[in-house]
Amino acid sequence: MVSTSKKLIQNLLEITRENLNTAENLKNQPIDFLNWKQGSENWSALECIEHLNRYGDFYIPEITNKIKSSKYKSSEIFKSNWLGKYFSKSVSYNEDLNKMKTFKSMNPLNSKLNIQTLEKFIDQQHQIIELLDKSKFVNLDKTKTAISISKLIKLKLGDTFRVLIYHNERHIKQAEKTLKKAPDSASL
Amino acid sequence: MNPISNLIDRINNEDLWDKEIELERHEYLKVKGSIDTNLYLVKSGSLRIFVIDEYEEHTIRFGYKNNLIASLDSFLNEKPSDFYIQALKKTTVKAINKKRYTSFIESSFENKKLWLNILENFILQQMERERDILTSSPIERYNRVLKRSPQLFQEIPNKYIASYLRMTPETLSRIKKS
Repeated sequence: MVSTSKKLIQNLLEITRENLNTAENLKNQPIDFLNWKQGSENWSALECIEHLNRYGDFYIPEITNKIKSSKYKSSEIFKSNWLGKYFSKSVSYNEDLNKMKTFKSMNPLNSKLNIQTLEKFIDQQHQIIELLDKSKFVNLDKTKTAISISKLIKLKLGDTFRVLIYHNERHIKQAEKTLKKAPDSASL
Repeated sequence: MNPISNLIDRINNEDLWDKEIELERHEYLKVKGSIDTNLYLVKSGSLRIFVIDEYEEHTIRFGYKNNLIASLDSFLNEKPSDFYIQALKKTTVKAINKKRYTSFIESSFENKKLWLNILENFILQQMERERDILTSSPIERYNRVLKRSPQLFQEIPNKYIASYLRMTPETLSRIKKS
């Protein structure tokens, strides 16, 4: 994937805006509805959000630090490498959700969740927006960040943003789909 | 007829709107850092424009039914803008993109005159707003805004009016009672 840095950031901001809007909407729903799940091994809407919060807890401080310490000035063009392409494709949303194995520490199944889970997610989206804005001044290609699943691999900042934000989109849509299957909140 | 409704009638007559956007309460039309060169007409509901500075929100402007709103900096210079635009209740807006809008404005002398008139009024409003911000007494700030736009106090929740008036919601409710 090759794009101007400007276009990439605009596109990621747009997806984050939609993720944020869905979360604001979920906040208006009754808590029992948000905790509803199809089966014991499926995630409720809030469990989807909690899963994202755990990734946010890793990536937001990591990106913040790497932007702060980056010595590379911004560049016009961003070019994804094979690793970035691979990771962002594998976490992206697609219609028939490709099953993925969840790391145990990231699996929210049966955790106690409440409206604070959503508030935390909303706060994280504002932090991501802030980071995307700050990233205009650094090089998305040459600045590298660690990733959550392996200590050996580093990703280009532009790819890290893509992985984080596409992954958010994936599970936000999963949360929406879950609620579409749920019985009317009134009957719960 | 005021210049904004006149202009909107003309856009309606030529059917120039690109799309209609529906927002639920607290949904965002625009977030910080994005480029948004659309001009929006509020069909129903209300919105606020704000910036976040060190985790504090500062409300800059409101839009309600029949108002035109935009991230005006982005609209004019086509660059990223710091503004957030958020619906305060269920809201519907119509959007027209800059290219289409510009060719509409340039298509007649009358349209140009109307747009100039709207921009002039906007500058006058901004000057009033600058005076608000420079007014040190909270009561005085409240009175200026109440006199200028009483509608605001019917349409918008206190929390956001307080932010617009640069005071806490507690101060605002104290002033309202006295």
